[in-house]
Amino acid sequence: MVTIVFFIFKAVPGDEAQMMAGATASQVDIDLLRTRLGLDQPLLTQYGTRMLGLVQGNLGYSSTFRGNPLPHILSRLPATLALATAAILVTVVLGIPAGVLAAVRQRSWLDYSLSLLVVGLLAIPNFWLGMMLVIVLSVEWRILPSFGFTGWASLVMPTMALSARLVALVTRMTRGVVIDELGKDYIRTARAKGVAEFAVISHHLLRNAMIPTLTIIGLETGYLLGGSVVVERIFAWPGIGDLLVNAIGARDFTLVQGITVVFVVGFLLVNLIVELLYLALNPRLRHA
Amino acid sequence: MQRRNALGLIGGIAATPLTSIREALAQAAPGKTLTYGQSTRVTTLDPAQGAFSTYPGGYEVGYCLFDRLVDFDKNLKIVPGLATSSEVAADAKSVRFKLRSGVKFHDGTPFDAAAVKFNVERLMDKARNPTNRPLWDVVSAVEIVDPATVVVRTKDPFSQILNSFAHGSGSIVSPASVEKYGEKGVALNPVGAGPFMLESFTPGQEIALKAFDGYWGGRPATDRLVFKFIAEPATRIAALRTGSVDIVDSVPVQLVAGLRREANIEVITGPSLRPLGLVINMANAPFNDPKVRQALNHAVPVKTIAERVFFGFAKASDSPLAFDTQGYKKNAPFEYSTDKAKALLASAGWIPGADGKLQKGGQPLKIRMLASEGLFPGDVSIIEICQRAFAQIGIDATITKVESGAYYGELRKERAALNFDLAMFGFNPSNASGLYHLESLYKSNASDTGALDVWNIGRYRNPKVDDLLRQAHATVDLPAQNALLGQVQDIVWSDAPYVWLHVNENVTAVRKGVKGVEVWPIVFTIPRRASV
Repeated sequence: MVTIVFFIFKAVPGDEAQMMAGATASQVDIDLLRTRLGLDQPLLTQYGTRMLGLVQGNLGYSSTFRGNPLPHILSRLPATLALATAAILVTVVLGIPAGVLAAVRQRSWLDYSLSLLVVGLLAIPNFWLGMMLVIVLSVEWRILPSFGFTGWASLVMPTMALSARLVALVTRMTRGVVIDELGKDYIRTARAKGVAEFAVISHHLLRNAMIPTLTIIGLETGYLLGGSVVVERIFAWPGIGDLLVNAIGARDFTLVQGITVVFVVGFLLVNLIVELLYLALNPRLRHA
Repeated sequence: MQRRNALGLIGGIAATPLTSIREALAQAAPGKTLTYGQSTRVTTLDPAQGAFSTYPGGYEVGYCLFDRLVDFDKNLKIVPGLATSSEVAADAKSVRFKLRSGVKFHDGTPFDAAAVKFNVERLMDKARNPTNRPLWDVVSAVEIVDPATVVVRTKDPFSQILNSFAHGSGSIVSPASVEKYGEKGVALNPVGAGPFMLESFTPGQEIALKAFDGYWGGRPATDRLVFKFIAEPATRIAALRTGSVDIVDSVPVQLVAGLRREANIEVITGPSLRPLGLVINMANAPFNDPKVRQALNHAVPVKTIAERVFFGFAKASDSPLAFDTQGYKKNAPFEYSTDKAKALLASAGWIPGADGKLQKGGQPLKIRMLASEGLFPGDVSIIEICQRAFAQIGIDATITKVESGAYYGELRKERAALNFDLAMFGFNPSNASGLYHLESLYKSNASDTGALDVWNIGRYRNPKVDDLLRQAHATVDLPAQNALLGQVQDIVWSDAPYVWLHVNENVTAVRKGVKGVEVWPIVFTIPRRASV
């Protein structure tokens, strides 16, 4: 992954030294910086230095921070993690019950209005939703801070903007799965045993219905990380997504590479957790 | 009944944090703290080692933290700073500074001639200071005459030397702090002798400064200055409207009318020093013909662009320099007239063919244009208007748009590799000197086929201009120097190495009641002398 990012970024037009030196720089400035950043070395030498550093926890020289960007990336990680975790929590807490409700009350007005809401949430881009939230909740009503991280209240709007799409997806997925499962034998058996309908759903059905939902959450981690880039910028959220946008603009590829590594690790970790949850939810998988 | 209780409980939980936030917001607004929502992030605060980053954000903080030997006022006039007097020698090869006595850095160490020598030698050294070289390369030596007098010498006549010392990179750092934090460590632990000292610094997010009690000019009116980075314009404006910040910069011009209607917001505008234009690549015929270049200048409705794209927050250029640059001289603007454009082109041999397109010897006139996307304000709209304008006089112009991060790289290629006839470009002379601006853009490159020296992209070459610039460097008397620069502007203006466009205004907005925020033409919003 690091290798791919390294070579892609080398192929992208634009010069880090030029961006660092700024618009008023002369060729002398730029050449000095190129030497200093090691950009005048052969490509393979640059690659070797980079990989060697990576193993030692040194990502290289970031023109944004004038040094190893790793501590800066790590210091911003909690904000991004908080946002992603909050978004996943909201998704689970809202999406699954909504999906179950829609399935159980299939073809009712509740089902139809939920479907409409789902389509709406899927269609609204997160940056637009974020801006609307700021205008209504911060500027007009003055009940939430409009940007930055100044306390837990700051988390509300970014989480709403980031989770809207996920809530919609999970609601739709859960609804479909629950409808499928409702027709299966074990549900009929449970009902025949005289188990209360609430227990049938919560105890027997939900476990099975959770698996596809988990898959969605695992797959959408990519969206969460990508979406955080946009949402973090709109809310001036001090996370790594916001850092990434600026790093690309400044052609600070040391920083881009570092953030990519963090994103990849995050993606793998979430999917590992999802796999483990499969095992917890479905005992059959443990023997496979 | 039970359900209602549950709802009441949820409502109660939700209400508690909301009220406390409302109170917090109400308390945050007034007081002796000023908060500035900046459009550019600040990651380092060392005038050397790659300079304050980024432009202008880091410089804006630097101008509050540090003092310089001489300073700019808000009109970019040079005024005394840490030096009570500065005398440039008649041959423009040295400057003598008399230093202010009793000045202390934030760390308590004294400011003296040794500190000046240390700083200037640090700036001269390419290894320690690889940026802003055009301002410092010329300096050859620093001599301490006595503890309160320093002489700085230059290799060649350099009449604009005081502009270098007033520039942000001329900020004087405490030598003891460099000793303490190391060459690289100063960037995050800046110690100066300015009116504010560092309280906290989270690179790329927030800087808090507090008033420095020992400031030689008296304690500043504001207790604390907080700089917060907010990239998105809509977010900055929202933060200003809610009162969580007191100052924002880089307000999009289309939002100004709406903000002016708000009772508690004040908009401050002022022209910038960056004239935008389309640089003409003179390597290719027919653009080596001044008639053709002048014709293109007559073809573009610059006033309409200023009014329609920028809602009047831009003004048509009438000189290669922006209006507030030192040494600016007004010229006769090129009148927008398709007839004049066509007549000039006809006199150069370009006649409309059967299809109405201009041609010469059976060859049609085509222009390849290069523009950035999001680097210069309104760049895409402007280049599309130019395309239409050229079509109206029978020229086919094509546009290539380049993402902003890659744009300067495209412009800097060797002459043979340039794939455009016209390219959008604007230069901001960050030391406010017209001489610096004219030299960077119009002095002949050492080689016309090689890479650029500075920013003479179109490979303009006029020995008379080179000679006048050389004279200006050696002329210390400002009126005489300006007269030389005036001649340069006259020549360059009529040679038309650019399709001249306009000068944008900088737009900053503040909460009502915030006084003394300065918007400098070099894009800086400076809260150094502000108060609530």
